Amino acid sequence: MVDKKIILVSMLLLISFLGCTEQPTETTTTIKAAGEIKIGLVAPLTGGASTTGNDMQEAAELAVEEINAAGGITVGKEKMRVVLIKGDTETNPEQGVKAVTKLITEDEVDILIGGFSSAITYADQKIASENEMPFIITGASSPIVTKRDDIDTSYFFHHCPTTDDYGRDTLIFVDEVVRPAINARFNYSDDRKLRLGMLYQDGKYGEGVLEGAKKAIESEGLMIEIVAEEKFTRSETDYRTALTAIKSAGVDVVYPAAFLNEQTPIVVQGRKDIGLNTIYLSVECNDDPDYYAGVGQLGEYSIQESRFGPYVIPAGSLKAKVERFRSAFKTKWGSQPSMMGASTYEGVYIAAQAIDDADSLVNEDIRDSLNDLKMDEMIEAMQGGTIEFSEDARESKFQLYMQQLIWDDAVGETRPVIVWPDNLKEADFILPEWYESSGD
Amino acid sequence: MKHVVICTILLAALAIPYLPVAVTQFLPFKGASLLGFLILMYAFIMFASAWNLLTYSGQGSLGHAAFLGIGAYTSAIILRYLKPEPLLFNSINLEVILTVMAGGLAASIVGVFIGLTCVRLREWFLGMVTFGFAIIISTITTELRDITGGHDGLPTKHLVAATDFLSRYKMEYYIILAFTVVVIYLIHRILRSKLGLAFEAIRENELEAKVMGINTVKYKLIGFALSAFFSGIAGALMYHHIGYLTPEVFSVENSFKPIIYCIAGGLFTVEGPVLGTVIISALWDGLKSLGLMHEHLVIIGLLLIIIVIFLPKGLVSLLKKVGRKSDAKV
Amino acid sequence: MDLAVLPEIVFWGLYAGCIYILLAVGLNLIFGVMRVVNFAHGELMVLAIYITFFLHNILDLNPYLAFALSIISMFFVGVGIERVCFRPIMGTGKLNEIFMSLALIYLIQNSIFITCNNVDFCNDLNRIRSPLGYEEISFGFMELGADHVVIICVTISLVVMLYLFMKKTSTGKAMMATSQNREVAMLTGINVERMDMLAFGLGSSFAAAASLFWISEIPFTPYSGSINAIKAFAVIILGGLGSISGAIAGGLIYGVAENISAYLFGGGWKHATSFIILIIVLIIRPTGLFGEKEE
Repeated sequence: MVDKKIILVSMLLLISFLGCTEQPTETTTTIKAAGEIKIGLVAPLTGGASTTGNDMQEAAELAVEEINAAGGITVGKEKMRVVLIKGDTETNPEQGVKAVTKLITEDEVDILIGGFSSAITYADQKIASENEMPFIITGASSPIVTKRDDIDTSYFFHHCPTTDDYGRDTLIFVDEVVRPAINARFNYSDDRKLRLGMLYQDGKYGEGVLEGAKKAIESEGLMIEIVAEEKFTRSETDYRTALTAIKSAGVDVVYPAAFLNEQTPIVVQGRKDIGLNTIYLSVECNDDPDYYAGVGQLGEYSIQESRFGPYVIPAGSLKAKVERFRSAFKTKWGSQPSMMGASTYEGVYIAAQAIDDADSLVNEDIRDSLNDLKMDEMIEAMQGGTIEFSEDARESKFQLYMQQLIWDDAVGETRPVIVWPDNLKEADFILPEWYESSGD
Repeated sequence: MKHVVICTILLAALAIPYLPVAVTQFLPFKGASLLGFLILMYAFIMFASAWNLLTYSGQGSLGHAAFLGIGAYTSAIILRYLKPEPLLFNSINLEVILTVMAGGLAASIVGVFIGLTCVRLREWFLGMVTFGFAIIISTITTELRDITGGHDGLPTKHLVAATDFLSRYKMEYYIILAFTVVVIYLIHRILRSKLGLAFEAIRENELEAKVMGINTVKYKLIGFALSAFFSGIAGALMYHHIGYLTPEVFSVENSFKPIIYCIAGGLFTVEGPVLGTVIISALWDGLKSLGLMHEHLVIIGLLLIIIVIFLPKGLVSLLKKVGRKSDAKV
Repeated sequence: MDLAVLPEIVFWGLYAGCIYILLAVGLNLIFGVMRVVNFAHGELMVLAIYITFFLHNILDLNPYLAFALSIISMFFVGVGIERVCFRPIMGTGKLNEIFMSLALIYLIQNSIFITCNNVDFCNDLNRIRSPLGYEEISFGFMELGADHVVIICVTISLVVMLYLFMKKTSTGKAMMATSQNREVAMLTGINVERMDMLAFGLGSSFAAAASLFWISEIPFTPYSGSINAIKAFAVIILGGLGSISGAIAGGLIYGVAENISAYLFGGGWKHATSFIILIIVLIIRPTGLFGEKEE
């Protein structure tokens, strides 16, 4: 009885071993459904980050609908419709790999867009790279995604600011604007270094912002020193210990690297419970109506770095386009688009433009045309007014701006006002009366 | 009868990569994506079977992702820092297969250590300590960033050095299938052996087992070592296939999945975890491919409730009932 | 390291302990009577938050009134879950109970998500604004937000009420008897199945009470609950299964230890610290701090 089974198993093992020998590569060229361009969206549609995934999906669907309404894209002589195919990463890497494999090999998409959370995107990229699939990353903020050396990254294009970008622009603003204001108020000498407290999320995102801040201080020669580095676990609800530690270190400005559900309690607890009456900075993803509603009056005078927000549209040529996008989004989905939605929306258009320029659906051609791409900025301000990918890291460069939250009696909430850079500025930065400095 | 079923299933599994288009077009997945789905499913079958093995010895773990992760990290780190010469056989990276075993070994050493702290604990206490170890190990992994890459994680080497995507998937499919068959067979043998009897005795009544002269501590540790070993192998294989490893491997979901698969299938049986994993993961991805986002989890939640109320011994008991009926007819 | 801030950290640690206490007491009540651990306890808390949120938005109720109503409605939700889900599987094994609660987690999280996706006033991240605003109450040595005072008072009074209920009323005594020895209780004519429903209902109400921490300051999503339930479970394991005083002691120990470790070693160690303490305690006392000796 036993012997029989052993024989059976070893036989099957042998067969599977034989199965393992190299297969002749099938060279059947896949025939695509005529008249369709398939764009694959990689997003966390279920699981912990599903609310973000939902924003991305809604924005992408709107973009696709608009492109098709305008007649689609002409490739060769054929007018083609754009189809959006969604791949759900379930906010975890194993599922992400499965979803990307399906998009590439089964749905035979022509290009990928999206990607949220660096940990998941790192894994997804492996598959995309092996299949030489162009991927416009609009959600993962780690600068490494286009710079890693373990795979060929030449097919990856990064269309969202990296954590290095936030750190640099935010701290340049602090150095140029906040530090002189503090020095003037407290009669400090000009060479006093501003004392910065970092409070960051335990994860790639938070660490990235911290590293970005350190790099910026070093490379830009900023008069800032980091005097406290406190870490918190994801979705933490109690920041009082970390804030107490930061307060006792003596800081002039606090820079939390946190998501919306974390930033709100940080500001509320810091101001209300700990009495840390200082300027709170904030990373861009918190420029969301829920944030203004959440912090209420306590958010007054805090600083919000941004590129697309619910209340402020930077003056200039963009204004009409942003308003049109907002109202179209509102009509289709009944809600406000988020920042993550904005870059995903642009991602679809960039993909369409690249295919249009390439006039081909061959992966290399699309990649080449993305490399040469030069299109007008759409709904987010870009440096130089055009969307183009840098030669070295294939990153598009956003024009980030700083907003200060000012109380608005009419709505009973704070509203943002752009205070930096000079070309977009609407008002001067205000150092509030209640502000307390750490001392000389 | 039973052998016929097993042979059919195995032959079907072997044939899957060569299924004609006429068949696969009715499936929610095709080609490489079908293989990708099955590869992860097989890895989870191993993982769930390993969890089941520990439970068989009366020790229910709530933190098995710890072993999955240790296996994967050990294997990835050895390859990354020792950089062994590639040992190619038919483009299979044999050195990776070796480090996968090392991963399993490392997991089983940690398993014995965790088992030692758990020998006096029972039921919930044991469950919570194992859960805690998963969190502690995850924290340590993240903090040791010089070795593990912290949150950035590590790239992992593929099992196969094929140039072309589909043939890599095909070969990895067979490698992982082979591992799965061996692991299930070994677990089957273990449960049938003296060891299995000792596990069962401990599970039914530890005190009585002690009185009967069974060295319960020894057997409980063996249970931990074996279960961790198989889990470590499953984890290492899974992440060598995926190609990138981050501390997300220690997630609570990964600890809870084998519990769901095993209990849905049927505890304390060899076929239970296999059946449970196949049905639940097919349902999970199948419902999703029908366009049911979020609804698919509501449906699965309801289904799990129905299963545990009406089939407290799992889906296997349903099969047995059907089997008995057909036998009676014959 | 600055020792002057230590009292403040300990205070906030004790405060953080309150949420564990409310969750753990509820969990322990259920365990004591039914010998069932409900892993979906955190999801019950989230459900309670959303009930408060819906009542507040649809009926325009004062949040604290909505909160009180949600505590009451969660009692009935709890009774329903006990009747439909847990009673049929009682006695089929510990693992089946875990399985049932995992199924409930999927069900509750995703049902809330789907509902919210179809309701106008639901955002990605929701928040209820406390009517007390930023009022502060001065205690001489420190100022404390009015909301925090309410939370502390609610926690203490609920625990005291539970204590009185268990000690003074006949129903409470019957429940105590059931949790001490089910068979004997049954023989003395106590309807143990009614006790099960009552315990599950009360436990769910306590989970609803724990949601007070969210209502006043923290934005929530359908996924906010899970980690807390597991931590609460660790608390009752630390304190000793079935022991209410153990749950209180465990909750406070965790609150303080987590905050001190976060201060000393950084926030990354917060979760790990509580489990390191748990493991050390269990190695010394395998049934927890206040647990009964093994039979």
